[in-house]
Amino acid sequence: MAKVTIYSTPTCVYCKMAKEFFAKNNVSYEEFNVASDMKAREDMVNKSHQLGVPVIDIDNNIVIGFDQKTIEGLLGLKKA
Amino acid sequence: MYDLIIIGGGPGGVAAGVYAARKKMKTALITDSFGGQSLVSAGIENWIGTKSISGFDLAKNLEEHLRAQQGIEIMDGDLVAAVIKKDDGTFSITTKNGVTLETKNILLASGSRRKRLGVPGEDKFDGKGVVFCTTCDAPLFGGKAVAVVGGGNSALEGVEDLLQYASKIYLFVRSEVLRGDPVTQEKVKSHPNVEILWDSVIEEIKGEIFVNGVKYKNVKTGEEKDIPLDGVFVEIGLVPNSDFVKELVTLDPFGKVVVDHKTQQTSCPGIWAAGDVSDVLYDQNNISVGDSIKAVLNVYDKIKKS
Repeated sequence: MAKVTIYSTPTCVYCKMAKEFFAKNNVSYEEFNVASDMKAREDMVNKSHQLGVPVIDIDNNIVIGFDQKTIEGLLGLKKA
Repeated sequence: MYDLIIIGGGPGGVAAGVYAARKKMKTALITDSFGGQSLVSAGIENWIGTKSISGFDLAKNLEEHLRAQQGIEIMDGDLVAAVIKKDDGTFSITTKNGVTLETKNILLASGSRRKRLGVPGEDKFDGKGVVFCTTCDAPLFGGKAVAVVGGGNSALEGVEDLLQYASKIYLFVRSEVLRGDPVTQEKVKSHPNVEILWDSVIEEIKGEIFVNGVKYKNVKTGEEKDIPLDGVFVEIGLVPNSDFVKELVTLDPFGKVVVDHKTQQTSCPGIWAAGDVSDVLYDQNNISVGDSIKAVLNVYDKIKKS
């Protein structure tokens, strides 16, 4: 199983879409709220050089935004 | 060969899909995602029949309603790249994913997208301080100085979103007036953390890895200045998604597709348009729904007659 981390804010709809996508595909993930968790924000920025959410880390591959195709590829999911 | 291909998955495209399926037209709908521009809205209070709904839930409801229809082919996660009109009057549509479809009729319900500033640094720092989804990313700018660009409602609401996070907000307005709700205007104008820069346009976004400042110009005096800041929130309005049909249909000076408002027909026989991509006077979810249904019923009438 891939290790999946999502950096999100509570107001970000693309983060919600990503989480719903993970749930639908039975992918477990760890979530960090970078609106309040400063340490996680720093990690996100260092990993991705990105000041926007969502940032998704799949086994150290960084995906910017809810890029469903790339995520499916990294998780080895076939589109139904 | 399809009877109808609907381009777009906002309220208009989905309404058209539901009606087309119920009329048993051979239909496909192509969209990158559902919900249209309202997807990122925290709350929509004027979607008729529902007191308040988030953009996310509206998008889910729309998708669910469409998927409940029989016989419509839904191609989501894709976008239209090109439309070609053939000699026999039918069309060939190619998508970004490389699929080609043949159809007798097309409904453009492709909506519009955010306008960009078109200045140096904007692309380079996209996601690195340049922000196009204020509700998503405002919380990342806690304690920082930021710029909001624009003078309309979306810019004012962007400032409102940022007030609880940013320590200083420069609002760049290219003229000397704000548009947008008077109540929000007052709130923004009177807040001590907001500085409005009238008659001012950003000329360059600067930085190294992330944005660290902007160069701007006062269009009246010609004076140029630099301000150090960490974020640029672009809220300068919308451009219609009509690029892929610009050779086929008549566009107005803003790039909106000109339609006959009784039938939604464009200047090109076989192509209809509705919602924000058309030259409708009011860009509203509820209006897009009605206009798209008008279009589908008109397509159906045409098919029945032929």
